[in-house]
Amino acid sequence: MSLDYVKFSSGFEKFMPKEYRDMVEHGPFGKKVSVSQMGSFKEVLEEHPMCAGCAMTLFIRLAMIAFPNPEDTITVGTAGCGRLAISQAAIPFVYGNYGDQNGVASGLSRGLRLRFGDKPKDVVVMAGDGGTADIGFQQVLHSWFRKERFTTIMLDNEVYGNTGGQESGMTNRGAVLKMAPLGKKFEKMDMLQMAKVAGCAYVATVVPNNPRRVESVIKKAVLIAREVGSTYIQAYTSCNIEYAIPTDKVMEDAKNVENDRYQFSEYITDEAKQFLTERYGYKEFLPKPAAPAPGLPKS
Amino acid sequence: MYLVADISVEICAAKSCKLCTQYCPEANTILYSDEMGKDKGFKYGSAYVAVDRCKGCAQCVWVCDNMAKNNAIKMIMIDQLPVAALTDNITYGEKSTTAALVSPVVG
Repeated sequence: MSLDYVKFSSGFEKFMPKEYRDMVEHGPFGKKVSVSQMGSFKEVLEEHPMCAGCAMTLFIRLAMIAFPNPEDTITVGTAGCGRLAISQAAIPFVYGNYGDQNGVASGLSRGLRLRFGDKPKDVVVMAGDGGTADIGFQQVLHSWFRKERFTTIMLDNEVYGNTGGQESGMTNRGAVLKMAPLGKKFEKMDMLQMAKVAGCAYVATVVPNNPRRVESVIKKAVLIAREVGSTYIQAYTSCNIEYAIPTDKVMEDAKNVENDRYQFSEYITDEAKQFLTERYGYKEFLPKPAAPAPGLPKS
Repeated sequence: MYLVADISVEICAAKSCKLCTQYCPEANTILYSDEMGKDKGFKYGSAYVAVDRCKGCAQCVWVCDNMAKNNAIKMIMIDQLPVAALTDNITYGEKSTTAALVSPVVG
């Protein structure tokens, strides 16, 4: 949980594999990297067994780059596609039993605060729509009501992709899937409203076809979760297998869905705005200078 | 044989939008090299593909054709590539990477 764990043990430099040496010497640890530098530094995410062209992988890749301090971050996940990639990164990963990822993260976050005090250690939960909105729903909602200080990211592919295509709470009404041949009969759950009601300090929806926006949203969510309270990000990460999207059209689908029903939205409490402005120098929440009154001559 | 992405240095080094590096789902697969373009007299560096990591999804082709409108990326059978970058031959620098190009097909 510090820069010390991304150094070589003395005498072992020449025996380490190339990927490890690149990670220590040219990884993002201890310096600031952004999506505009992608392709020129070694990323924390390594090769992984996710399907070709998976939008969820792209989102996870962007998220790993967006973490403000990757050396002080722990990710928590649960069963689902996402953990196949999240576990292949140079960031400690805790695998909860199905549905208890937010309970695990609550304990982890409190324990880290006891152990390290004011030194920020970030806990980020990344779980699928099934893990967050169906099976883990109770623990997710209770962690928000308790205002546990960590970030919950839902990788919303709108289906149980890992087990053959069953409908989930986040599947859209009428969607016909391999294991839901009659079409879903109920509406998609409104997790955004539930997060707001439960008292999250920051709630946002993103689609990975805008990498800079994904980066900025995740940075804000992780920083706010350090002190203010729970934060929630809902990301549309299509399943190109279960929804039969050709891999080269995944970004086209993301763009269409973003225009249709997944528009970018951001909810942030006044306390969180003040925290970001005062502690981390964010300028976007400062009051805008008042426009000159109409009719007055311009000076 | 299977398809991998191949980036035309001539087109890429003239525009250098770097969009494909941000949209590839695989980490450290589309990389950026200053010397690949500038050493050949182009204005910018160029992106290139580490073919041993490319899964052939062609998302970069859509991004290059429709978002950047450069049409610099094509999918090519891996045995048709004369030389390509492999992860083991890539060196990271301060702001770009360097790749020693070798034949992608072993044996």
